Amino acid sequence: MMAGLAQREAISYPEGSLVIEVEGLQKKYGELLAVNDVSFTAEPGKIFGLLGPNGAGKSTTIGCISGLLEPSAGRIRVWGHDVVLERRPARENLGVVPQELALYEDLSATENLRYWGSAYGLRGPDLKQRAQEVLIATGLLDRAKEPVKRFSGGMKRRLNLGCGIVHRPKALLLDEPTVGVDPQSRVRLLDVVRQQVAEGACVLYTTHYMEEAESLCDRIAIIDHGRIIAAGTLTELRGMVGENDVLRFAGRFDPEKAREVLLRMGDVQIVQAEADGLRLAMRDASRRLPELFAALAAADSLVRETTLTQPSLESLFIKLTGKELRE
Amino acid sequence: MRFVLNAAEKDLRRYLRDPLALVLWLGIPLLVGTLISLVTGGSESSPPSAHLLVADEDGAVLSGLLARAFGKDKQGQLLRVEAVKNDEGLARIGRGEATALLVIPDGFGDAVLNERPTKLLLVTNPAQSILPEILQEVLEILADGAFYLHRVIGPELKEIVKGPPKGDLTLSDDAVARISVSFNEIVKRLQKYLAPPVIDVELSADQAANGGQVSPTKLFLPGVLFMALVFMAEGLSADVWRERDLGTLRRAACTPAAVVTLLGGKLLAGSIVILGSTLAALVAGILYLNMPLLNLPLALVWGTLSGVVLLLLFTAIQLHASSQRAGSVLANSLVMPLLFVGGSFFPFEMMPDWMAALGRWTPNGWALQHLKDILFGRETFPALVAASISLLLIAVVLFLITERRMRRVFIRS
Repeated sequence: MMAGLAQREAISYPEGSLVIEVEGLQKKYGELLAVNDVSFTAEPGKIFGLLGPNGAGKSTTIGCISGLLEPSAGRIRVWGHDVVLERRPARENLGVVPQELALYEDLSATENLRYWGSAYGLRGPDLKQRAQEVLIATGLLDRAKEPVKRFSGGMKRRLNLGCGIVHRPKALLLDEPTVGVDPQSRVRLLDVVRQQVAEGACVLYTTHYMEEAESLCDRIAIIDHGRIIAAGTLTELRGMVGENDVLRFAGRFDPEKAREVLLRMGDVQIVQAEADGLRLAMRDASRRLPELFAALAAADSLVRETTLTQPSLESLFIKLTGKELRE
Repeated sequence: MRFVLNAAEKDLRRYLRDPLALVLWLGIPLLVGTLISLVTGGSESSPPSAHLLVADEDGAVLSGLLARAFGKDKQGQLLRVEAVKNDEGLARIGRGEATALLVIPDGFGDAVLNERPTKLLLVTNPAQSILPEILQEVLEILADGAFYLHRVIGPELKEIVKGPPKGDLTLSDDAVARISVSFNEIVKRLQKYLAPPVIDVELSADQAANGGQVSPTKLFLPGVLFMALVFMAEGLSADVWRERDLGTLRRAACTPAAVVTLLGGKLLAGSIVILGSTLAALVAGILYLNMPLLNLPLALVWGTLSGVVLLLLFTAIQLHASSQRAGSVLANSLVMPLLFVGGSFFPFEMMPDWMAALGRWTPNGWALQHLKDILFGRETFPALVAASISLLLIAVVLFLITERRMRRVFIRS
């Protein structure tokens, strides 16, 4: 499947080198502080995830790193080059895959790839060969000469990613690349991303899909209201939320009575208690469900729906912000 | 620099995938120009000429000379002389079939030679105003000429008109020699008056005001071309909004390629489209209207350069609009007034003076006037150089404005 890109040699980096360095980034739109004091670093051969709900500041951060937006404060370096002061060398090492499609619909896939490759300085046989490799990697070789406007949404997404990697970038910025993509294209896209990482590229990946971030990212920063509220490896982040499962009950409750009986159970942590729902955190929740139902029945509660969530980024996000990621 | 070519190639490919737009940019002006030309009666008509009827009741040598004098040399192109009987001539003037009737009375030649009063009768057509007056002027000049001729060589003329003595077929050798010597002496005496330094009088009409000798159909050619150029400039300029909608401008802004190269590529692609269209329109027009091909290269360069400046102008307008819709409305609202006042729908020569003066100050009108001068061979070298420098300066200023706006605001917003 990845034969097209397999010929490429992995990029070698000095030990401990950083591809993307963001220090104290701020971006203001008038009075609105869209990004507030964001700092992180991303290493070669790793995927750094920026996780947050819509409007959290992920795309603004990507815009500042790509040089499209000018930071209000702070400093960003790509492969050691300041993106504001040394635009050209910084951009030469960057590949950008925007959230919205950015393709010429009248042109074919090959023509799009060659054009974007030429924008990064690729020429002649190298450009031709590289375009061919990307077409194979994205599974578009058999449709290479068709105008893009005839492609399905998933195919366009794959080509959108292909145009961002055609010049073999050292740092790849992926802004929610799988939004609205069919499962087949999603698998193909994530395969291409993993291949880039295997070859030594550093990937900055923004998403609001928890599962995607959990399965793909080596390090994750959770961003909300323009600030990073937690950052670390998946294990480190899970450690922050603890080993507790999250249990949600929907129905009719007397919050005071429910609180009283639940507290008597000892190690049950009450996150939220309302007339129409309860949210609890505890260990081994699945095994303790009968005990919980009995206690709630004694408290005149009527349970209509029960949801059990094991520790995840989502539970961390809920713990940190008090709201769900997709809210 | 290489990316300019890549960007231009990309845009050319895109334009060629939408050939209908190219056809419309040229087709609509051609259709409009043809219709307006037909409505206004533009055709390859010959200049108006006077029709003079001459009733020579005298039938002598001098009256014959007078009648023939009207149709000599260049006058003959403007004047058709037809000999008629007096009654017939009066009837035809009454029916409005001729410009005027000249009646040379019986005894006219004899009266002139013997210095007796005589009259020429000129009956003019009341339905015409200018041509009869011209004929009257010409007749008065000829009458004056006859007077002075009589003063100078009256006796000799009298002897020639009188003819040989009875019984002889020709004048005697003595008489011929005497008359010749007499003519020779007169010519010698009057040499400084009869052969003055040669002064060529060149007729010069106000070319700008009346289009010179150019036919109305030919006057429409530059206008139609500029209509196509304005349509092309407006259509091509809207591509910045199309690219913004596609997201490709923002993506391009993240690449190492500078915005100036991106804009340069777009301009180069537009220039090639404009060059091709201008060449096709000019060659077709020149061949159809049977105009000299000699002026084609210069007209092509001027037309293309003007089209590029119009493209930059419309691009600057589009980039300063707050939305695609606003840009479209703004550009469209400019196109029609520019075309109308700028001489594309109606040549300046057919406009009221004040409107033509205004039209020549519009960007397309100014350039159109120069194209006309080039096509009709009226443009002087210094004027062309000055106009070209002006056009290049305008192009540079517009390019800088456009690049700055695109880089600082349009791509980022």
